[in-house]
Amino acid sequence: MEFKVSLGPQHPALHEAVSLRMTLEGEIIRDADLKLGYSHRGIEKLAEERTFTQNIYLTERICGICSHSHTTCFVQGVEQLMELIPARRGLYIRTLIAELERVHSHLLWLGVAGQEAGFESFFMYTWRDREVVMDILDWITGNRVHYAMNTFGGVRRDIDELQKKKILDSLDLLTKRTEYYLKIGANEPTFVGRLAGVGKLSREDAIALCAVGPTLRASGVPMDVRKDDPYAVYNEIPFEVCTADSCDVLGRAVVRVKELIQSYKMIEFLLKNLPDGPFKVKAPRKVKPNEVYSRYEAPRGENVHYIKSNGSDKPERLKVRAPTLANYTATIKMLKNGFIADIPLIFAAIDPCICCAERLVQLDNPRSGESKVLSFSQLRTMANDHYKKVNLLKKEAVWPF
Amino acid sequence: MNSEAIFEKINGEIKDKILEAAIAAPRRISVKVERGQLLAVLAYLKDQLQFTHLATISGVDLGENFEVIYHLSNDTTTILLRILTPRAEPKIPSVCQVIPGAILYERELQDMFGLLVENIPDPRRLLLCDDWPQGQYPLRKDWKFNRPAEIIPGGK
Amino acid sequence: MAILKPILYILVYPGLIFLMVYSTFCEWFDRKLYARMQNRIGPLHTGRSGILQPVADIIKLFAKEDIVPEKADKHMFSALPVFALAIICTTALYLPLWHYSEAPSFISFPGDLIVVAYLLTLPTLIYFLAGWHSNNYFSAIGGVRVLTMLFGYEIPLLLALLSPAVLADSWRILEIARFFQDKPLLMLVNLIGFFIAVIALQAKLERVPFDIPHAETEIVGGQLTEYSGKKLAFFRLLGDIEMVVGAGLIAAVFMGGFPGGLLPGLAWFILKTLFIIFLLAAMRAATSRIRIDQMINFSWRWLAPLAVLQLFIVIIIKGMVS
Repeated sequence: MEFKVSLGPQHPALHEAVSLRMTLEGEIIRDADLKLGYSHRGIEKLAEERTFTQNIYLTERICGICSHSHTTCFVQGVEQLMELIPARRGLYIRTLIAELERVHSHLLWLGVAGQEAGFESFFMYTWRDREVVMDILDWITGNRVHYAMNTFGGVRRDIDELQKKKILDSLDLLTKRTEYYLKIGANEPTFVGRLAGVGKLSREDAIALCAVGPTLRASGVPMDVRKDDPYAVYNEIPFEVCTADSCDVLGRAVVRVKELIQSYKMIEFLLKNLPDGPFKVKAPRKVKPNEVYSRYEAPRGENVHYIKSNGSDKPERLKVRAPTLANYTATIKMLKNGFIADIPLIFAAIDPCICCAERLVQLDNPRSGESKVLSFSQLRTMANDHYKKVNLLKKEAVWPF
Repeated sequence: MNSEAIFEKINGEIKDKILEAAIAAPRRISVKVERGQLLAVLAYLKDQLQFTHLATISGVDLGENFEVIYHLSNDTTTILLRILTPRAEPKIPSVCQVIPGAILYERELQDMFGLLVENIPDPRRLLLCDDWPQGQYPLRKDWKFNRPAEIIPGGK
Repeated sequence: MAILKPILYILVYPGLIFLMVYSTFCEWFDRKLYARMQNRIGPLHTGRSGILQPVADIIKLFAKEDIVPEKADKHMFSALPVFALAIICTTALYLPLWHYSEAPSFISFPGDLIVVAYLLTLPTLIYFLAGWHSNNYFSAIGGVRVLTMLFGYEIPLLLALLSPAVLADSWRILEIARFFQDKPLLMLVNLIGFFIAVIALQAKLERVPFDIPHAETEIVGGQLTEYSGKKLAFFRLLGDIEMVVGAGLIAAVFMGGFPGGLLPGLAWFILKTLFIIFLLAAMRAATSRIRIDQMINFSWRWLAPLAVLQLFIVIIIKGMVS
């Protein structure tokens, strides 16, 4: 018997609002469909009405986890438009924050994978270690989530010797812990049993569906913007592009853990080779009419900003393509013919970053699977009508304890 | 193959199909084509030069025309493949048969610019909500958002 | 006097009141252990070290709005939690806690092991019915998973319980316990069976790695998706009491029961059940949830053959002893 189940927009496995419509046959998924738009905020339209400097902080708010990715992508694009050469020390610090952000994002993902697989201990352990990175970020930028470090021509804050020493000390601890997680990930039989062979995405499909980031690299394609199209100071740092050939969720987890270890090495290199000098240079306010296409390797994959300027202090057009959107088509492909139990894992494996609900789908009759769509205003009227009927005397009742 | 070699190849082999090509910045090539030649050029770039990765499709409102830019990447270079489509008849061909991963970007273009994508496999709305009025395309320059008056229950 | 003791037995100890108090304590113990194993603190604020937290949770649930879905079978939906709680409290009466008379009575008779095993199966059936009558897809999937899992763990559990019974030559829990009290060394014979029973109990309680029926990241709350308020509180209490009864049964059958009358018996009961709960918490902390097909595979490929092996060992040992 086939039946349709709607996962989300509100569902324990999804941390943000997105709707997955599944056609199930017993425990097996026969067809999947994705419905987006619950958190569309019109940032591209808004960006056209803000100045370039204001837009740094607007792009920062596209995402909470990869806030530095979006600003860096935007800032380095605008710097090209301004024909501005940023300060070298500023670029080093920018790259340092980028790698710290990758560490915190990947540790977050490991925890989420543990939670989706029902391995709560793993979740608790990785999130405890993520606090170490968060504290570092808090200490050197002043914020835990939106660092606001980037500005045209460099960064907004310098880092001193004491901070350098503290980061290097914390790195030892993180490296040790990450190696331990790699061991757990490869040896704990229930965890490996859940991840291995789940969400297969062949190399050909991954390329054809334009997947990005760890999803693509786990299918054996060594695509990494940091190597292919180096920005900031990535052409000076030694690092390897991590890939896996297993094409499944386990491969994606392994790629991320390997990237963590690479990131630790990169952070160490950056700190030991931090050049002296100013950390920012002055930037002009207005920008000549031109266009630029800026790429950035965010923790989730390739992040793309297309910026077109018209000679004023506001952009003519800002197009943002966050990495998650690129992975959706591949996700649908991975979900087909999987188990219900694998939905959260497969979906979490692309590290989805969605963001506020505005409407709802009501399954009108669960037996026939008919659905109807209600707008937010209708929902509000329904809720008001319902509570008009309810006996409000309960409100006045005294709390018995 | 670096971007200069790719530029030479494009200028040499498919010169009759493109309108103009230029190296816009390091590792960036800008190629302009006719609307009708888009699929042929895309297929050539994909099969001969390994431009398999379509990062996104951007639309730009130029007033008279809409510019649609296909951002293609291989491991060394990014090509910005652009076509123009008149505002009066905003039609573009679907590239899903060449690059299947383009579907979400084409649906986004339909929502945001009101471009008609011909032969699109899945024409449903992607981002806009289901009770969004017909004929309103938010990213067109002439579209302005009029905030409805906010009514605070119990407020003044 | 003769009528007073059964009433006390049913209502106070080890009946209703004792079960409620002790099961909430066990939940706190389990939660605290689980939290410490995960580098967390666990419940802290309600009572000393958060010991009253489970009670507070249940009181809170009782105060919440109680929703019965429009399309659900209203009578079944409301009656099931009460039935489940009644069944599991009845099962608790068969644990050999306070009765040390040899004469068969309504709480201890030859064959009560079978009755307990049977009664322990019923809450699982009720979970399935609860899921089915909720009229929700998530609940239905959860309910079906409950039944599928039942076929996985129930037979290994029964086979594991069978071996001490064969060794002690009795189907009466009291006599099995007394047999092992007399010959404590023979407990070691049942080591495999003991661990099989603990694993099967974990599956019966639907805890990690066997929390497949109500895996929240997959199917929200599984069979309990539509339950809220008082009814959910009943189901939670059911889970806690089931844990105590299951641990008590394993302690009675495999670990020599609770000798020594009222107070020493109580002390033994607490000690042994907490030990088993410790094992359950450790298993929960060290593993990840598995898939339903993996669970069935595991039960039939490992648990069931090992349980049969245990039975063979027991038969051979029995031949050697007698």
